[in-house]
Amino acid sequence: MSRPKPLVAAIAVATIAATALSACSSSSAKKSNGGGGGGTGGVFTSIDANNKITAGAPMNPFNAAPNMFLGYNEMQMGFSKYDPSDPNAMLPGLAASWTSSDAGLTVQLQPNAKWSDGTPVTVADIKTSLAIAYTQGTAGPVASAGGTVVAGSNFEVSDVKDLGGGKIEIDQQPGVKNLYFQRLVLSAYIVSDKVYGSQLPADIWSQIAAVQGSDQSAAGAAATKLSAEGKTIAAFAPAKDVSAGPFVETRVNPGEALLDRNQYFYAANKISPKQVILRSYSGNQQIWGYMNGGELDYAPYTSMPTNILNQVLGAGYTRMDAPSYVSASIAFNEKQAPYNLTPVRQALAYVIDRDAVTKVGEPVGGIAAPTTTGLVGSQSDTILSGDQKAALNPYKPDPAKATSLLQGAGFTKDSSGKWHLPGGAPWTITLQTVNGFSDWIAASTIVANELTAFGIPTTAAITADFATYQKEMAAGKYAVGWWLVALGPQTDKAYARIYGSADGFSVSNGQATYNDSAPTNWEHTPQTYTVNGQSINPGQLAAQLSVTPVADQQPIIAQLAAATNQELPMIQIWNYTHVMFTLDKRFTNFPKTGQDDLLNNPPGVWMMQGYVQGK
Amino acid sequence: MTGFARRLAGKLATGLVMVWVVVTFTFFLVHALPGKPGDVQYEQYIMMGMSSDQAAAKVQAVYGFTSHDSLLSQYGGYLAKLAHGDLGQSITYSGVPVSHLIWSALPWTVIPVLTGLLISFLFGVIGGIVAAVKRSSRWGGLLTVSGSLVAGIPAFVLALLMLVVFHTEWNLLPDAGTSDIQYDPGWNLPYIGSVAQHAVLPVCAYALLSYGGWLLAMKSSVVSVLGDDFILASELRGIAPVTRARYIGRNAILPLFTVLALSFGVMFAGSFFIEDTFDYPGLGDLLLKSIGGRDYPVMAGAFLLITVSIIIANIIADLCYTLIDPRVRR
Repeated sequence: MSRPKPLVAAIAVATIAATALSACSSSSAKKSNGGGGGGTGGVFTSIDANNKITAGAPMNPFNAAPNMFLGYNEMQMGFSKYDPSDPNAMLPGLAASWTSSDAGLTVQLQPNAKWSDGTPVTVADIKTSLAIAYTQGTAGPVASAGGTVVAGSNFEVSDVKDLGGGKIEIDQQPGVKNLYFQRLVLSAYIVSDKVYGSQLPADIWSQIAAVQGSDQSAAGAAATKLSAEGKTIAAFAPAKDVSAGPFVETRVNPGEALLDRNQYFYAANKISPKQVILRSYSGNQQIWGYMNGGELDYAPYTSMPTNILNQVLGAGYTRMDAPSYVSASIAFNEKQAPYNLTPVRQALAYVIDRDAVTKVGEPVGGIAAPTTTGLVGSQSDTILSGDQKAALNPYKPDPAKATSLLQGAGFTKDSSGKWHLPGGAPWTITLQTVNGFSDWIAASTIVANELTAFGIPTTAAITADFATYQKEMAAGKYAVGWWLVALGPQTDKAYARIYGSADGFSVSNGQATYNDSAPTNWEHTPQTYTVNGQSINPGQLAAQLSVTPVADQQPIIAQLAAATNQELPMIQIWNYTHVMFTLDKRFTNFPKTGQDDLLNNPPGVWMMQGYVQGK
Repeated sequence: MTGFARRLAGKLATGLVMVWVVVTFTFFLVHALPGKPGDVQYEQYIMMGMSSDQAAAKVQAVYGFTSHDSLLSQYGGYLAKLAHGDLGQSITYSGVPVSHLIWSALPWTVIPVLTGLLISFLFGVIGGIVAAVKRSSRWGGLLTVSGSLVAGIPAFVLALLMLVVFHTEWNLLPDAGTSDIQYDPGWNLPYIGSVAQHAVLPVCAYALLSYGGWLLAMKSSVVSVLGDDFILASELRGIAPVTRARYIGRNAILPLFTVLALSFGVMFAGSFFIEDTFDYPGLGDLLLKSIGGRDYPVMAGAFLLITVSIIIANIIADLCYTLIDPRVRR
């Protein structure tokens, strides 16, 4: 027993010393770094909710999970205003101004646009970045698994020309008319040619010309080549960050990323924080913990119960709301009876009390969907006329109407109050959701209770993870399950979410083709609906939207909204709201609710516009 | 010594066969999981505002290297690459070598697990001896209860409790990450101090989780040894209590050495809950993320490492036991 004693003592002393040392050193260092704002700088602390930090990931925006942070060190020529009335509306980024024409776009770069190594941003950087976009599948046609070339709704640049004086002409491929060319080009990632240029082959623009050409075999070969080059680009790990954004990444550890102000940023005088620390997180609870301690100057959206909301407001945070263009819905597989019957879906909409479900499911970040139209409220309010809005059925909870609809469809109710299918079999529902989606799970319980109380025994079932959910949904395993619709401010994309690949429609140049047995088609809605006495093809209308100028889209949207409201391929339960929080202790002059164009962008973009100043 | 070498060679050969069996099982198991790697990312691209065409194109471009070969042919290729030490490339982190991700994560599992295990072993063994010798006293009873209590608490409950008490309520210790980003990583005191501070909660969680097991096992072993004839004989001969305690300790601790070696491997596999709770980016955390993203190469690589560590620990335990207990060599 005599020998272990020094060992125990040594371990104990070392442990105590390390803890004491760390406690002292941390506190003193934090003081010297001044976690505060201040006119000359300070540390701005936040979380990038879209991008979890991983020490092993490269600083490369083209990697699928990069250590790059939009608006801070990841730059674009412009940032979307997310304006439903004009999806092409942008905030300036590396482009100070731009003019759009049928042929393409002319961009004036910021006069002092420079990389963090002090070299100016030039046409070579823009050209390289747009060529890289081709290798990533976001700019032009791509090689499909079968070796054919698939055209997507991409921006299809054919050439980039230097007009001198920082003016650049970006040509759209002749014959291709993408309504959102301006937005797509301006929001492409811009990287330094000096860093990334060597990763591209010298003949990259010849490959791009080939993939755009009419020779199908040459196009196929070029697409395959571009795709292979894309994988090399995505895996590329630059030795250090060279950014044209307001910040440059200094260091990443497994839990945080440290970015320092880029002294060469074109509007460096507008950027108040000296440093930005972006924290990693494992879940919402951790973000709430940081907020309760007042540690985050900006906190991103998290699904948040009311008591937590009160706590963070008590800690000094200000809540800001902006439209989020996403709606949580209950979707149906119409291949499975009885969900192929419109009166059944309508009856269920009359049973579900969306206000009650929203209160439990998404009490802070969402509002009960007033109507099911395929769009979120702010979009349909902006686009539809008063009469068109008035004609929409809100499906206010009305058990009597639900009963009448079901009885009309041949359903019967037994003496115990349980509904039976027209054939006499008992009717039960399994409402499917996904593990980890806490709002869907909570809401499922309420919906299940409501439907069960109405006489349709309903069980909320949970799939292990989202990959499995998607696979099983596509395989037609679920009759009723949760789904997100109304994605994005672009109405064609919102409707493509319903009447797109998940419903057997595929779109090319504004024309839709329908395949009821397509492997992704799990909705199986009919190809046409009869609405107000008129037969319409919703997939075709959604495809038509993608090539119709925004100013002319209203009549098409009105038809799609009316059809969706009548047929209910899914019932919109709540529309998410983009809720965020700012802390006015170290920094001030944050954008406010109502400045949606700013609020839908990350804080780095706010800073570029002169917001977020040290106190 | 020739006997030892032969024994070692035999163990290594058995270990290699076990690795092959587990690699094969793991390969087919991870590929049998429903959902493709691109499925999750596709949905995320949609949420980020891409059209379905664009998202599909991006997924095709970035994740397109998911092989279309038959599973058997993929398995052959995987084994061939593995034989050359190539674990493949990550899918989630498009093209980043799996070995790079694993090496980045490994220290954040190995150091806390080893430290926690050694601390728990030390306190558990000492506590076990005291609990056995003083088993009729109040202290002995309290020690036994403390061991039973912590041994019965699930890992995630214990970790959450520690998080709430030491971070949320008292704000004494950080709840996430490995160090404060403001320090330059390297051999400098502030950085080392920050790493130590961030490791306190995970290390204590590991230590507490295994402390109870050691204490109860040691107590039981000591009680058993106390009844042996040689202890009675030493008492009758008037040998000093300290010397007697050494006899007891040496004989009672033998079975625990095997379990200690095995525990190193097992605790790698059990690091998920701790790392997830404390957002500590070790191997368990990497494995959880890779499962969520259907990142087959990372999953296979992480499973392989866990398997190999358990097998190596097993071999070491076996050999150590041969060395410390002459009876096994017979």
